Order: sequence, then C-alpha cells, then structure tokens
Amino acid sequence: MSTDTATLPVGRYAYDQVDRTFLSQRVAQFREQVGRRVAGDLSEDEFKPLRLMNGLYLQLHAYMLRVAVPYGMMGADQMRELAHIARTYDRDYGHFTTRQNIQFNWIRLEDTPDILERLAGVNMHAIQTSGNCIRNVTCDEFAGAAADELLDPRIHAEILRQWSTLHPEFSFLPRKFKIAISGSPHDRVAARFHDIGLVAHPGPDGRPVFDVFVGGGLGRTPIIGVHLRDNLPEEDLLAYLEAVVRVYNAYGRRDNMYKARIKILVQALGVEQFREKVDAEFAQMNRADYRLEPAIVEGIRARFGIPDLDAPADAARKLEADRKADARFDRWVRTNTHTHRHEGFISAVVSIKPDGGIPGDVTADQMDLIADLADEFSFGEIRVTHMQNVVLGHVRKDRLRDLWRRLEGAGLGTPNIGLVGDIIACPGLDYCALANARSIPIAQKLSARFANPELQENIGTLRINISGCINACGHHHAGHIGILGVDKRGEEFFQLTLGGSAENDVAIGQIIGPALPEDETVDAIARLIDTYLVLRNEGEAFIDTYRRLGAASFKDAVYAPA
Amino acid sequence: MDVRNNRRDMTGASVITANRLLDGRIVWLAPQGWSEAISQARVFDNAAVEDAIRQARAADANTVVGIYGVQLDPDATHITPLTVRERIRAFGPSVHPDFAPVETSHVH
Repeated sequence: MSTDTATLPVGRYAYDQVDRTFLSQRVAQFREQVGRRVAGDLSEDEFKPLRLMNGLYLQLHAYMLRVAVPYGMMGADQMRELAHIARTYDRDYGHFTTRQNIQFNWIRLEDTPDILERLAGVNMHAIQTSGNCIRNVTCDEFAGAAADELLDPRIHAEILRQWSTLHPEFSFLPRKFKIAISGSPHDRVAARFHDIGLVAHPGPDGRPVFDVFVGGGLGRTPIIGVHLRDNLPEEDLLAYLEAVVRVYNAYGRRDNMYKARIKILVQALGVEQFREKVDAEFAQMNRADYRLEPAIVEGIRARFGIPDLDAPADAARKLEADRKADARFDRWVRTNTHTHRHEGFISAVVSIKPDGGIPGDVTADQMDLIADLADEFSFGEIRVTHMQNVVLGHVRKDRLRDLWRRLEGAGLGTPNIGLVGDIIACPGLDYCALANARSIPIAQKLSARFANPELQENIGTLRINISGCINACGHHHAGHIGILGVDKRGEEFFQLTLGGSAENDVAIGQIIGPALPEDETVDAIARLIDTYLVLRNEGEAFIDTYRRLGAASFKDAVYAPA
Repeated sequence: MDVRNNRRDMTGASVITANRLLDGRIVWLAPQGWSEAISQARVFDNAAVEDAIRQARAADANTVVGIYGVQLDPDATHITPLTVRERIRAFGPSVHPDFAPVETSHVH
C-alpha cells in the first residue's frame, strides 16, 4: 500500500481504491433496491430495513438522511459536498447531531441513490448510521490538537471504524451500539455514557493502552458506565472489544427493545459476572487473528495527513495584542477557543448556536463558508462536536482575529461555548417521529433570553440539554439543567432535571418535580438561574452550587406561583 | 394502532394521513386521492374511519407509507388535528414557518 503523503487529507483517513470501490458498489445496490420498492416489487416492510441500513429514516415530514462523519472529522471538500446536497436535495440546510453526524430533514427517496453517490465521491456515506449495529465511533473534537492530550484517539477510532463496518457478527445486535474514545484525561466524549467508552493513554513502554468503561447510556434508563478494566494493551484492543460485543450479542435481551441495550445486561449480570464472561470469551479467542501489531497501527496512522504547524515566533504575542485591542474579540477568545499543543496555534470553536437560533442547524452558505475558512485557516480540516458545534483545529494565533471577523460576518461568531446559550437540543417534535414535545423552540427562547454575552459570562459554565422524548437524544440526563419533553394528552410538558454531567464528574440529573406546561418552562428556568446567581459563592459554577445546596434550594424558584 | 398518533375516541371525527412513498411528504386522504393540504382531506366519522383506513392500506400500499387516522379538534373552525404532533405534521415545523405545506388543490 503506497501513500502519497503530499496529498493526504489533514486530520482524517485517506481512503484507498478498495474503500472507494466498496462505497460505489453499495450505492449501486441501494439504487437497485429503491427501484424495486418504487416498482412495487418490495413491500415497505421488506424495504424499511434496507433503507435504514443506508441511514434513511422516514421522519415526521419527509425522509431524513443521516450521514456519518467518522469520529467527527471531515475535510473542506466534504463540507462543500454537504452544502451542495443541502442546496440541491434539501431545503438549504443540514443539522449537526450529538453523534457527530449530519442529518438532512427533507430528502426524497427518489434522490437518495444520487445523494449517496455524491457522498461516495468525497469518501462519505450513511452506512451504520441506523440499525442495531455499531454506530459512528465518536471522539474528542480537539483530537490531535489539544494541549492536554496524552494520545491522539483518531487512529484507533479509525481502526474501530474499519473493524465495525459491516462486521458479519455484529450487524444485528440486540440494539444499537455506541463507542466513544478519548485520548485526554479530561473527558470530552462522555465516555461513561456510552455502550463502550475508551480512554486512551500511553502505557509503561510508551505504547497506547486503554481504560475501558461499559454499559453506560442515557435513554429511558440512564446509567453511568462501569469500569471494566484498565490498561488494555493496544494489540488486544480489537480482541477485547470483540469479546465485549460477543457477550452482549449472546446475552443481551431481544424480547424487549427497551431492555436490550448493553447497560441493562451489565446491570442484570452485575459487573463482576459480566467481566467474567468477557474474560472467558477473550481467553478462548485466537488472539493472533485480532492482534493489532504496531505495524498495522502505523499503517493506519500513515494514511492521516498531519498539519505543518509552523507559526511565526511572535504569533502568540500578536494574539495578545489583538485581544487587548478589541474587547469583543477578547470575549470570543475566552469562550470559543481551546489550548493547542503548539504554542503558536489555537483551536477555534465555531458556535452553531446563534442567539435565538436552532442548535446544530447550518445553511448551505454557512457550510461553504466554513469549508473556505478551514482551507484558509486550518489546513482544510473541520471537526464536528458532540455539542453540535464545529471546530477548526489548528489556527495560527496571529490569524485568529481575521478568522473571527469572517465568522462574525456570517452569524457564526457567537461567543457562547460552554455557556447558557450553548444548548444541546434534539430535533424534537418539529421533525422527529418519536418525539413527544418540541425541543427547538425551548432552546430558541432560552438562548434569546440569555443572549447578552456579559450576562452569559457572568452566569458562567452551564450546560442546558433538551430532549423531546425519553430516548434522550438531547442528553438531558447529562445536563446541569436537563429538560425533557413529555406528552400529556397530546399537549407538551417539560420535566426538569438538575445536576447531570457527562464529564469527569459524571452524574445523572435528578428530577426536581412535576413537568411544566410549555409556556411556563422558560420562565421557570430563568428563575432557577436567578436563584443560582443569588446563592452562589464567588467563582462557583452552577453545578457546584447545586451540589453544595441540593435541589430544595431551587425547587421553590421553579414552582413559584406566576 | 399507534395510540399516540391517533388519540381517537369513539366519538368525533378523523382524517386519514400517510407519507408519500417517493418523497416522504405528508399527505391526507381526499375525496379523490391524496392531497398535501389537510384542508382538502375527507372527514370521517370515527365510527367509519377504521374501515376507510383498511381500504386505503389495501389500495395504496405502494404509493404511500404508514396510513393512520388523526382525530380532529371538535372546537376548531377549520380541519385541525387535536394533538400538537399532528398539528405540526399538518401545518409544518413550528420553527420554520417557511416550510409549511403549500396550499394547493392538487390531488393525486
């Protein structure tokens, strides 16, 4: 396998001809299946699993196509193709999700083979974005860039992608299966809320090892993943994960879809018994068949383009001067950047949460602009975050102000990352066939209410997560303030949870009382935040005040008479 | 029957809905075929709607998907579903008024 390093895409895996041929054949296969459905040769019951295998759902208003962004990484060329699809086949926009995917909400079945063909043209697809299989492996949005990173998780995420794609044993698991991988001691992937969460770090000999968490998840039964083992050697990564998924495949419940996730199995068996079964499977496997030799890993790594991190010696000084000269820019740098491993660079987070906007929605023009800015400022590399934002990973510090100006001009410069305006929201009842209530309007009203950037900074770190139903796509259990839409005789109500976190201080939010009518929910949350501002100690974040005082201090504010 | 979709009771009236196979768009059973406008929908007494749904499923399984009945709001002056969910289906996503179904008399 030869690789022309000069043409490798920065930050992502370069497909070879085998990959491209596979995608092309897959598109032809689906085109034929669509033809048979339209001709009436396949019933809907026969066709539905085939379209779902290609990421095509039938949602509330139309077909929705979910496109995988492997571990959240894509290139400017790929983003431009997504913009073209949005403009040509959708209603001029796409929606970034918490699984680092992008969804198109207004797709026609007739057009889908053409769309998949266009995606294949830029090495993208929608395979395994639906169904009871291993879904898109997610990863730290600052992978390969973060100053605190111990190990770049993208290489192993790509290995897991290749292992899990069309895995013959794991195409029909009891339920969907989600894996996240972090290479930083600061959990930015919600590792403990995944079916398998991997935290990578160097072992004693410098080779990668993995701490493994299993059985975490949100949904109707939120559970924090249990610690399965530490220091899994790199060479055994695939064998051990194969053993875990085999145990799940063998013992996971298939009689009740609500009890089919691995989290239920782990809880039912207990972690000790689950671990014994995994260890027994692991022990009887022919590990040589799965061994990840260093040469294999390096072969994968060699197909990732790396940025040429060359910055002027005074780049950092220039940024400091720019910040002093412009208070608005300074605020954006405080909220929307992350420390890079190279002192001359910085990672910039593009907020896809404008004040009063729809979290995660981007227009075709904005996609094109992000692609242009990625080419101009970050080696053509783009990352989608599980917070529904976008990251340009490697921006020279002396050019950051230029980038910010361009973002501002396109409505993409909102300084709210990690603040009250940076709301995670699922599509909710406006689009989703499963939802019970609308998530987006609550997010819009809250972000408009707290639009003032000074107020947001004063409130400080605050995660608000909104789900339109118990399936928890908006991760409400993991929000400092979680909002869950419920249906009461056809009308929307919202239940509040407090104290959740998906980070190192992982916790499941607690319900504080009865659900609120839609028109009272935003006011109640505003009173809750006001109460925090009164009760907090100096420098204390909302989550810490809540943990210090408990729910009772906030309950009265939420349920205060109008 | 998906109770959440319907919330039909023994009395009152319903319309019949589905998604069109080729583009997934929401359609409503009209006197002569399926329309994108709920205003064109044929209104059934709930005592008669199950039969009508069965007939539509038998006749149109290859042109529309997921046929079911939608209870109407008895207090509304126009044809209006009872639940928020079905009102969003009928009138478009609340966060994108520009995506509301276009009122046309076209029936297919």
